[in-house]
Amino acid sequence: MFEHRLAVYIDWALLVAIGLLSVMGAAMVFSATYDPTSGTVGTEFYRQLLALAVGAVALVVCLMVDYRTLADRSWLVYGGLVAVLALTLLVGTEQGGARRWIGIGPLSGQPSELARLVLALVLASAYGRSNPGPRALRDWLLGGAVVALPFLLIARQPDLGTAVTLVPVCLTIMVFAGLRVRVLAVVALLAVLATPLVWAYGLEDYQQRRISSFLDPEQDPQGAGYQQRQARITVGSGGLAGRGFLQGTQNQYNFLPVAHNDFIFSVLAEELGFVGVSIALGLYLFVVLRALGAAWVARDSTGTYLVAGIVAGFTFQVIYNITMSAGLAPVKGLTLPLMSFGGSSIIATLMGFGLILNVRMRRFRN
Amino acid sequence: MTGMPPPAGDARRARNLLSLFQHLVVVIFAGLLVSFWNVQIGQHERFLAMAENNHQRRLSLRAPRGAVLDRDGEVLVENRHSLNISLVRDQVEDLDAWIERLARTTGLDPAAVAAAVDRHRHDPSSRPIVVIRDASLAQVASVAARRLELPGLVVEQVPTRHYPAATYGAHALGYVGEVTDTQLSQAHFDGLRSGAIVGHAGIEHAYNPRLMGTDGARHVIVNSLGREIDTIREVAPVEGQQLQLTIDADLQRAAEEAFRAAGFDGAAVVLDPRSGEVLALVSRPAYDPNAFAAGIDAAAWTALTGDPLRPLQNRALQGRYSPGSTFKIVMAIAALEEGVVEPEDQFVCRGGGVFYGRFFACHTTHGSVDLPQALARSCNTYFYRLGQELGIDRIHEWATALGLGELTGIDLPHEVRGLIPSREWKRATHGDRWYAGETISVAIGQGQVSVTPLSMAVMMSAVANGGRVPAPRVLRGAFDGGTGTSEIQASPDPSVVQLEPETLAAVRRGLWMAVNGVGTARRARLRGRDVIGKTGTAQVVSLSGRREAAGTSSQDLRDHGWFVFAAPRDDARIAGVVLAEHGEHGYLAAPIARHVMETFFAKEDGLPLPASPPATSLPATVVADAAQSNGARGGQ
Repeated sequence: MFEHRLAVYIDWALLVAIGLLSVMGAAMVFSATYDPTSGTVGTEFYRQLLALAVGAVALVVCLMVDYRTLADRSWLVYGGLVAVLALTLLVGTEQGGARRWIGIGPLSGQPSELARLVLALVLASAYGRSNPGPRALRDWLLGGAVVALPFLLIARQPDLGTAVTLVPVCLTIMVFAGLRVRVLAVVALLAVLATPLVWAYGLEDYQQRRISSFLDPEQDPQGAGYQQRQARITVGSGGLAGRGFLQGTQNQYNFLPVAHNDFIFSVLAEELGFVGVSIALGLYLFVVLRALGAAWVARDSTGTYLVAGIVAGFTFQVIYNITMSAGLAPVKGLTLPLMSFGGSSIIATLMGFGLILNVRMRRFRN
Repeated sequence: MTGMPPPAGDARRARNLLSLFQHLVVVIFAGLLVSFWNVQIGQHERFLAMAENNHQRRLSLRAPRGAVLDRDGEVLVENRHSLNISLVRDQVEDLDAWIERLARTTGLDPAAVAAAVDRHRHDPSSRPIVVIRDASLAQVASVAARRLELPGLVVEQVPTRHYPAATYGAHALGYVGEVTDTQLSQAHFDGLRSGAIVGHAGIEHAYNPRLMGTDGARHVIVNSLGREIDTIREVAPVEGQQLQLTIDADLQRAAEEAFRAAGFDGAAVVLDPRSGEVLALVSRPAYDPNAFAAGIDAAAWTALTGDPLRPLQNRALQGRYSPGSTFKIVMAIAALEEGVVEPEDQFVCRGGGVFYGRFFACHTTHGSVDLPQALARSCNTYFYRLGQELGIDRIHEWATALGLGELTGIDLPHEVRGLIPSREWKRATHGDRWYAGETISVAIGQGQVSVTPLSMAVMMSAVANGGRVPAPRVLRGAFDGGTGTSEIQASPDPSVVQLEPETLAAVRRGLWMAVNGVGTARRARLRGRDVIGKTGTAQVVSLSGRREAAGTSSQDLRDHGWFVFAAPRDDARIAGVVLAEHGEHGYLAAPIARHVMETFFAKEDGLPLPASPPATSLPATVVADAAQSNGARGGQ
């Protein structure tokens, strides 16, 4: 299945950049879970290291199996995903009022993190296989339905944030597959018109509070606006060179909620300053552009769509999280890929890069 | 294998989209970089300050006020430790719910807690607000057990004033409390901020800047729950200066207990006539300054301010009373110095006399009296005649020279001046001329004339020491623990009235006879101490007023009794005044002075101090003695 000569075509530069970002992320998780009074670090750091190791293995696995083989069996994978998501709703572990976790023995994970990959695979394979040329409306509606099922299952957990990350993945693949921008504009218009309805009926109280506090963070400095305000203070106090590793007061004295998770980039900005931010942003930009290169050279449409979809999902999440970490976007429980603490997120992200490397490695027809 | 090579057109479209994607990402990342530059570099200072403010807290460490000692080193005011429960608002999400929880935990009224918080609503939200002063140990224990429900709660140990003698000497010592908004704008309280504890009366007020010391501060690091992680630096508070007063706690106690035994309200001032040092200062009814030390509650404050007996008033400095017959001392000095009479000139009292067409009564028929006898027996007729010959302006001049109607300059706050009338005064205040008949009333200390007990004590000191009118002092010295220096408070130079030896001899002889001879003040006699003194009765209502009120028998209509004294006659080391409100007669005030003098001399000789006098049953005595002088006004 795996030919040794293919190893030559692995994108080592991309792998190095991913590795650097992972190391930075792990260091920040270390700092964010460090307890300055006792001088100990939280177990999260070790769990992050473990996740990175498992993720590296998963990456290699995703690399070895030809992506076309996977695409041929994508419906099977899709069926598995829907089943696990449904199971999560039924028997998942409840935490903070949401069922996002499912476990077997000591192992547990968030199946929703894998949804992006599976959808990218199933859509890329479906649209890549069919005849080129103008598509019927039926194709788009079918694609929409394929996305809608896992979307609703995840939104029901409830985890609207993760559900929303499916949207850029699927839209990107559809646009690449021929969806006209005009149609997209109509959809966008409908979305805008539906906003008040969604606001009134679709959002929970806490979700409404988060959005309104984003629009005016000072209105309730102790409530929902608190996180955003603290995020901005954290980032701003970092300055040019940062306050130093383990020296950020906002981080060390816990003024930043879930610092090791949603706000890991704020910690980086505080302790490593604008210099660290520039390096991290540069690495992320390199990873995105370099990964898109795989779509450029893919041997078939399926490969192009797959890469574009995965990269779009990755990029969306990176941009949103970083914007939020500076207090410039509403607080949403979205992780920063490669940096935030979270095993499922790390493993799913690395698997995605495995697929991207896979497409690039098998770019030649033989 | 289903993968198909993309058709050419399709591939071009894909490439265009990829190119668009890439450019879009570059633009967005550039935007992010600019945003971070703006927040991290552009607004760095502001956010850094906010971050510092987040985790650093300045806790004020209150400096203990200086202790106050009596002239022998006995502690009059000290500090004890009390516990305050405070709130740091910026750690509380729902203030109303917090207050409700605290009130429930400690059994307090939520409205009172809310009011305490509201008073400091303009303070920075990170500064602790005291919600419970002097909390009980039970309260501290119950809030400590509910720490998680009450974030932002701080228990602070603070030094609090303690007055071991409670009400004794309360008006001299004063009391402390939170600085008021009005005081904050005064120079005396310069540099203080709201919540500071300052003196509001007495020594506590007068020497507030010395007593206050300098508050320290502890800068601590707190985490997001407000828990202290570390102390960055600590500036220890500097205790205020220790003050030594001229007050003699033994004499103060003697005066208070004698007053209590006699059952009167009133005032007493005991001075060292040589220096003007205040040995005792009594004002009754008194308050307990301990009640103010940890913040007085509204009900107790209303009770004090609304009390018709006005316990907060320092009667010794702020009470104005007619001097009654004690004013005859001033009249005698003025007449002798002005040469209108010689000491041995005899004058016949036939129970009164007609002056300016009106009959003025004496309280008995004294027959032939010279000046010492007139003083000793308090003959009105004799002094009516002196008043007639002196005229109001010369009386005014001599009374003023002896310190009456003027501020004595004592180092205690809120002193008021009495009033010695003159033609000038009458014209200025009433726009009317002085009627000669008014002088006759003034001559026996009635009418328009009024004095404070303190100024009478100063006058008596001048008589006792030969004409030096001392400025009374309460502060004797101060010790600054911070610099390790002590200073002795020098007595200010007295103003001197030149008096002929003959004048002094005659007046002192009269005052000696009043106590030791045929006079009105025999109850103040101390064997071998040559006490000199003079009683007086201050009219509370006029004769006509008394007739109107006849039958109501209200205590408030009874006259005040005066007694001024000094001892020993020719080498006076103690002088003073006792004013017994509604004591009816000066000779009822005399035993109080006697007990004070007895204590003074026992202490001077190193003998055991006399036991405090037993309480007298007042009403019976008053009725019995009142029979002696029925109808006579302004006598004794």
